[in-house]
Amino acid sequence: MRHRLDSMGRVKYFTRAIGTIAILAAAVPTFAADVHAEDGVRELRFENHRFAPQTLTVPAGQALTVRVVNTDKETIEFESFKLNREKAVSPGETITVHLPALSPGSYDFYDDFHQDVPEGAIVVK
Amino acid sequence: MILKKLTWAAASAAFGVLLVVQFVPTERTNPPAQGTLAAPPQIEGTFRRACYDCHSNETHWPWYSRIAPLSWLIVHDVTLGRKEVNFSEWGSYYPATRRRKLEWIGRALHEANMPPWSYRLMHPDARLTEADRAALERWIDSALATTSIERSSK
Repeated sequence: MRHRLDSMGRVKYFTRAIGTIAILAAAVPTFAADVHAEDGVRELRFENHRFAPQTLTVPAGQALTVRVVNTDKETIEFESFKLNREKAVSPGETITVHLPALSPGSYDFYDDFHQDVPEGAIVVK
Repeated sequence: MILKKLTWAAASAAFGVLLVVQFVPTERTNPPAQGTLAAPPQIEGTFRRACYDCHSNETHWPWYSRIAPLSWLIVHDVTLGRKEVNFSEWGSYYPATRRRKLEWIGRALHEANMPPWSYRLMHPDARLTEADRAALERWIDSALATTSIERSSK
């Protein structure tokens, strides 16, 4: 059965459609966050132009979430070729880097925007 | 009727905003080079053709880079591109930094995600053929074999 919508009906219809899309869009990140909720979470701070701690030691075979907190006044880029990750972090911003279960070894990371920043490493044991 | 009025109002507002944003200044700069990448002419030529607009200080700013909001996107992309890899500042990179940049360039070529499609759309001559990619990857492999692996940690 076909409904013929008048102007007001169309406006209502579009408003509802946009509302539904907005609700779905809001639900996606929530769902994604739940997926990673059980990962090990470690914090890495960028302060005084260096990462702290410089070495994160984590167990092998477990998914890992690294929260990178930039407390400095310059934008940095958390980057690791071995981990295939690169993400800019604005001053005062916190980013989350999700990593799969890693094999034992050392995975270096660095600030790609400032080459004088000492590099750090995620050591998987 | 209501829809028509709404459409007109939205179009007028959009036009007004578009007009106003033209007065927001954007910085299109080409700072002096600090030691460029040393590569054979063919390799350098390919990098220039496909990468230099965003990854060097020799950007050819197109006419549409003067029209907001496109200008903001282009300036943002170039600024970020130069931060990631800047062939005009190659000489100022530490050996470890050069090595990392080469590794990332190699990966980007291998995964064929550079130059981005949005750039290729307006710059068809920037497309890389399989032969171009293979030549660049071979050169990167040989450069990585000879680049010092000195660490940048202090």
